[in-house]
Amino acid sequence: MRGERQLLRLGEYLVRRACRQLPPDVREERYREWTAELPAILHDPQVRFAPWRAVRMLGYAADTLRGTAMTPGTAQGRISRLRATVDVPLQVACLVVVAVSVWAVVQAPGDALNYLRLVWGLLFVASVIRNRVRPAGRMTALLGTSAILAAWAVLLGGAALAPGNWVNYVLAALVLVPLVAYLPFAWWHRRRQARTGGHNAADR
Amino acid sequence: MRMTGPLERVLGAFLADPAAPRYGYDLMKAARLPSGTLYPLLARLEHQKLVASAWETPQQEGQRPRKYYQLTGEGIRIARLELAQASARRPRASARAGRPAPGSLG
Repeated sequence: MRGERQLLRLGEYLVRRACRQLPPDVREERYREWTAELPAILHDPQVRFAPWRAVRMLGYAADTLRGTAMTPGTAQGRISRLRATVDVPLQVACLVVVAVSVWAVVQAPGDALNYLRLVWGLLFVASVIRNRVRPAGRMTALLGTSAILAAWAVLLGGAALAPGNWVNYVLAALVLVPLVAYLPFAWWHRRRQARTGGHNAADR
Repeated sequence: MRMTGPLERVLGAFLADPAAPRYGYDLMKAARLPSGTLYPLLARLEHQKLVASAWETPQQEGQRPRKYYQLTGEGIRIARLELAQASARRPRASARAGRPAPGSLG
């Protein structure tokens, strides 16, 4: 099959990502087991249509990733289930923020604060999407931090326009809470990944 | 053991030929389950010592060995029992669902 090596490499990449979420003692064995199935699926004589075999192989690899992410008992599984619960309301909130920001810019194109709100909304959307794709990446942390700082700037801008309104000050202080909580967690998560990774094929 | 739909299908696939060792993809097709559902189930069954696993010896140079799963003696006994209980529960449940509510027509 044309592009077979690239397809297998992609499948192996997905399986490797799945295995990273498993405890270190079973990681290598699971990686060997799951990657051994990839060429077998790609050459399955019962499936005649080659592109369909490729889809099945990639589906197999992607579903191992889903399965390990949702496995109960692992920290990753708990985080994934929690994330799955908050994801839909968060995505709806993102879309509402962006839609309201665009509407506000159209209504008052001369107001700089509206553009700042729009930037905040877009950063919010980007950080949620990025967090779904690669939760532990450096870019995820950067986007999340930028979104929080943009929200902070929006609230301080509101406070500057209405200095007597204490709500803006309280909200600005509250917005900083997730940042203060998130940064140590992100640091711990990266250290943990660095400590457990890089020992075997499944980690590479 | 808490019987679920996927577990029932995996046990059914194993019991179709209890003596035959089955690899993951084969079981996926037989039980019509995705890999992300099947492998955690197999890991659980293996942990409970109802399923045993072994690596195949590669037939050709460069071939990656596959891992085969097979029900243990205890696994066969429990699987048969659980599947029989599940199928005994099913007609009762479907009969309850089919019975008209008191006071309704029919």
